[in-house]
Amino acid sequence: MALHRGKGVATIEYPTGMNQNGDPSQAWIKVKPDGRVDVFSGTSDIGNGSKTVQSQIVAETLGVPYDWITYDNSNTDSSPMCTGTFASRATFVAGNAVLKAARQVRERILAVAARELEIDPEDLEVADGAVSVKGTPAKSMGVDEVAGAATFVHGELLTGDGAHLNPGAAIVDPETGEVDKPPHAAISYAACAATVEVDDETGDVRVLKLTQAYDIGRAMNPTLVEGQIEGGAVMGLGFGVLETCYPYYPSAEHRGDGMNTYHVPTMSELPDIDNVLIENPSEGGPYGAKGIGEMANNAQPAAIANAIYDAVGVWVTEFPITPERVLDALDAKRAGGGEPRREGRVVAFDEELSINRVSSTRTWGP
Amino acid sequence: MKVVGARLPRYDGVGHVTGRTTYVDDVRLPGMLHAAALRSPHHNARITRLDAGAAEAMAGVHAVITHADVPLLVYGHLSGGGIPGDEPLLAKDHVRYRGQPVALVAADTVDIARAACAAIKVDYEELPALLDVRLAFDDGAPVVNDTFGNWYDQYEGNLDVRQIRKGDIEEAFGAADLIVSGVYRTQSQEQVPLETQVCVAIPEPDGRLTIHTCTQAMYFSLGVVCSHLQMPMSEVKMVGGTVGGGFGGKVDTASDPLTALAAQKSGRPVKWRWSREEEMLASGNRGPWHMEIIDAVSRDGWILGRKMLTIHDAGAYGRFSVYGVTKHSFHHTGAYTIPNLHFDGYVVFTNRVPTTAMRGYGITGLATAIEIHAERVARELGMDPYEFRLKNANRVNDTSPNRIAYEDPSTVEVLQSLASATGSELSEELRAMSRDERSGDMLPDHLVAQIGSGGH
Repeated sequence: MALHRGKGVATIEYPTGMNQNGDPSQAWIKVKPDGRVDVFSGTSDIGNGSKTVQSQIVAETLGVPYDWITYDNSNTDSSPMCTGTFASRATFVAGNAVLKAARQVRERILAVAARELEIDPEDLEVADGAVSVKGTPAKSMGVDEVAGAATFVHGELLTGDGAHLNPGAAIVDPETGEVDKPPHAAISYAACAATVEVDDETGDVRVLKLTQAYDIGRAMNPTLVEGQIEGGAVMGLGFGVLETCYPYYPSAEHRGDGMNTYHVPTMSELPDIDNVLIENPSEGGPYGAKGIGEMANNAQPAAIANAIYDAVGVWVTEFPITPERVLDALDAKRAGGGEPRREGRVVAFDEELSINRVSSTRTWGP
Repeated sequence: MKVVGARLPRYDGVGHVTGRTTYVDDVRLPGMLHAAALRSPHHNARITRLDAGAAEAMAGVHAVITHADVPLLVYGHLSGGGIPGDEPLLAKDHVRYRGQPVALVAADTVDIARAACAAIKVDYEELPALLDVRLAFDDGAPVVNDTFGNWYDQYEGNLDVRQIRKGDIEEAFGAADLIVSGVYRTQSQEQVPLETQVCVAIPEPDGRLTIHTCTQAMYFSLGVVCSHLQMPMSEVKMVGGTVGGGFGGKVDTASDPLTALAAQKSGRPVKWRWSREEEMLASGNRGPWHMEIIDAVSRDGWILGRKMLTIHDAGAYGRFSVYGVTKHSFHHTGAYTIPNLHFDGYVVFTNRVPTTAMRGYGITGLATAIEIHAERVARELGMDPYEFRLKNANRVNDTSPNRIAYEDPSTVEVLQSLASATGSELSEELRAMSRDERSGDMLPDHLVAQIGSGGH
């Protein structure tokens, strides 16, 4: 029995927003008489942090403190339409909707302040909850005072609405798959390196370390981004070596029906995780953001598989990479098998898994 | 910037970690009933009798919902996009997977509701099941899906395959020094949200319905409810927005329409909370993918062309699978530029729980396949894995499988950063690479045509 260490890498890309786009989000904002801000958005927060990120976008755009923002996504009567929280779209698409709404509110704040201060609105700026004259910061008034004046002096409501829609991309040629416009809102990129330890007697794979580099345009809230990246890494680890709904796929029998029979990673399986965040702001995202949520579990499974090959010289291409599959591959290798068919310039792996071996009617290949 | 980019605390974090956040299961109302579902015990069976009389007569039972109670029985997740619906909200005369709901009972307690489910008489005529996607095309295979057969056949109206064709695939394979093939089979994965599927539906005095929902997409789910119940959106108020984990599995709107029907029929608030076992065995999970990749490669490490066959195991009904395979096809070169492509993707139906969205939908298995394949090719060439990847990595204005120019690809930069962070030595040549448009040695003959045509 021996433990073998190996390293592997993988790199991925992932689209932001629904494939083929056409997924609208809308938002509206109102300001209370004391300048506090109510944001209404239809974006469900599934733990991804969209309440936080959208509130940050509004606070940044209005120039008011983050804790002045109240965020209400609680129901479809008061919140406008949002396609939903999936497809890594809540920061980019729904975030753009609140950004546009906040820009409108900002203009209205400046318009009222301009009247109060008797100055052109273009000469005003707003930051830290106060509107001030550019170059003459002493001449200023609080956003709370502006809101009070709007309400009680000018008889106005400070409000704004915004909507974002990347127009739907159509497949114009079903033969080739050609589309008429970009089918994504943006694309994010990442790479992952895994270090594993493989026990050649039990087939057990321990993932010791995952190092990951992500370019997601702009980390709107680095703490939440790291949460996505590390949570995603653990989910990717589970996909790589632990989890399956059908342990004897394609059989539908022997399914795990609880947390003790379906194995998600636990604290004991957690590797060391190192993150590198790279920021190349996107063209169209709010403050340069792109999506992060869905890509975070995609690079680990291959990096782990490649590290296993590096450690013990076997490829496992049916997932998850269970101890049983590792041992089967090691047994085949010890028996002199497990090699691809090499014939001239052809190197054919995994032929036993191909539809050509299983189906009686379908053949596919070069 | 002061607020964007700051490490601010999660907006609702304190409530989550102190147990004070109100989730759907925390909603309790006077007179609230509890629901339970009767589910199919078979993978594939005809229903020859469905008699809910005894269940309806039980003390404490207030409503039994069967297919006959649903105003619009079949509504597809992608109906809005012109893809026909195929899945009944409740099974009518056929069950297509084990766990498929046949009836819903609302009663004073969950125990009574479960006992009433057991009292519903259903006779089944069991039929052979299809579970292996590789057998779906064979003569005599059991037919899984009434609407589409064994694989989806209405891409752009009448194609039974999602295709990508680009460049000249035969020329690429003719010119190849090496042709490497591999087969990759990724599994079904459960989303495992801490909060299982759950709904509370309340019939309001004014005739409206209030639905406390765990959906990830309130307006999408509003549309699903209003379609099945044939009501205008003004008559239903979805209350939610704070979800106890979804990971894709809560786009399905698995519990809202039936709970709403039970509330309407009983005139009482109804809660339907799935058990962990139901969540594991009957809720939509990530679908399995069967992927065969054949790459044509040059001795100096360029991927000249790729042929790929993908068969997605959708389970018994379509849900979002057509979307998933289309997205998959758009990304089947991964982070690389491959100018000559021949891709065929199928949505195949089997008698298992319908699969649905999960984090990385359409891509997780694909990225796994592509990146193991890349490693194999690099090793067959005797090339450093970083070098092979960096060389083929997409650059600005390279084009995607469907001919869209990449605006800001960072593949080169994330690989260089990863090498640096892990202490992997890259040669000066590799360190000097960038995302910039290809030129010089980075623009080999097989890519000239693509760049020369402007890509679009």
